[in-house]
Amino acid sequence: MIMSTKNNRIFAPEGNGRYPFKVSDAYFDNLTARIMEQIDAVEQEVPEKAEEVPARTAQLFHIHKNRRRNLWISTMSIAASLVLIVTVALKFISMPSSTPVEQQKAENHYTQDNFNEDLMTYSMVDNVDVYYYLSAEDFSE
Amino acid sequence: MSKRHSNASEMAKIDEQDILKRIQDPQSKRKAFEQIVNVYSRQLYWKIHYVVQNHDDTDDVLQNTFIKAWKGLDNFKGESAIFTWLYRIAYNESLTFLKQQKQMASIDDEDFVEQANFVADEYFDGDNTQELLMQAVSTLPAKQRQVFCMKYFEDKKYEEISDLVGTSVGALKASYHIAVEKITNFIKSKE
Repeated sequence: MIMSTKNNRIFAPEGNGRYPFKVSDAYFDNLTARIMEQIDAVEQEVPEKAEEVPARTAQLFHIHKNRRRNLWISTMSIAASLVLIVTVALKFISMPSSTPVEQQKAENHYTQDNFNEDLMTYSMVDNVDVYYYLSAEDFSE
Repeated sequence: MSKRHSNASEMAKIDEQDILKRIQDPQSKRKAFEQIVNVYSRQLYWKIHYVVQNHDDTDDVLQNTFIKAWKGLDNFKGESAIFTWLYRIAYNESLTFLKQQKQMASIDDEDFVEQANFVADEYFDGDNTQELLMQAVSTLPAKQRQVFCMKYFEDKKYEEISDLVGTSVGALKASYHIAVEKITNFIKSKE
């Protein structure tokens, strides 16, 4: 199959066509040198960038030295506070609710308190009080 | 491109094993790469031109291709032929260029329609009928354009193209057939 306009064959799908562009040989003669120049330029850029990185890091480190120390202190304070809060919270959380045995203990404790109170009261009794109690007994009889 | 150009450069074969050894040695790396550029730049130029279809753009893409290749040289272990490796970088660079060009065009003018004007191109070396053919070729997608140009203008075998582009022979035959149909329809529509 050959496509054609009025006068010229323009397209033979089987191939063998001529690519209708041209470039002077001078272009290719200089091409390698130009490309290698660009590559040298790229190579020079890379070490410069590599040197910049540690310099910048050092500068940043110097500028923020005090700020870093403050940050470290703040962090340590917060951490210590958190540890304290967690320890106290855990103590409360781990404390079980009162059991019957403990309730019994509480009652005993209460009874013991009453006895002590009475003992205190009796210890404060003086002779007048003793006389009063005894005479009261006489009256009741 | 005349076949004279293509064949002359293909004749300039290099010893790939020797080149591989030399690019691994920092002392000889630059010289070995210079040799690669010297041997393959002409072939690559035309492969890129098939896609971007303009001398200045081809020149830019070609330089970017070799800079990318230089940067990735340490990773090239010779799994493929040097030219295949370079070709694939060049093809990707060409696609990147076309995408950027399309984006620029869509920013500048929303109604932009790509229309190749080869007569104004000082590097165009053809008549009206060849311009019509190239306009038809410029309507093809990039990969189809590559396959068509390698088959039609370089008369390459499908097996050779397959090695280069990494597509099966069957798919390449189909691609070429579709490209021929599109070009035929384009030319008919202009007559």
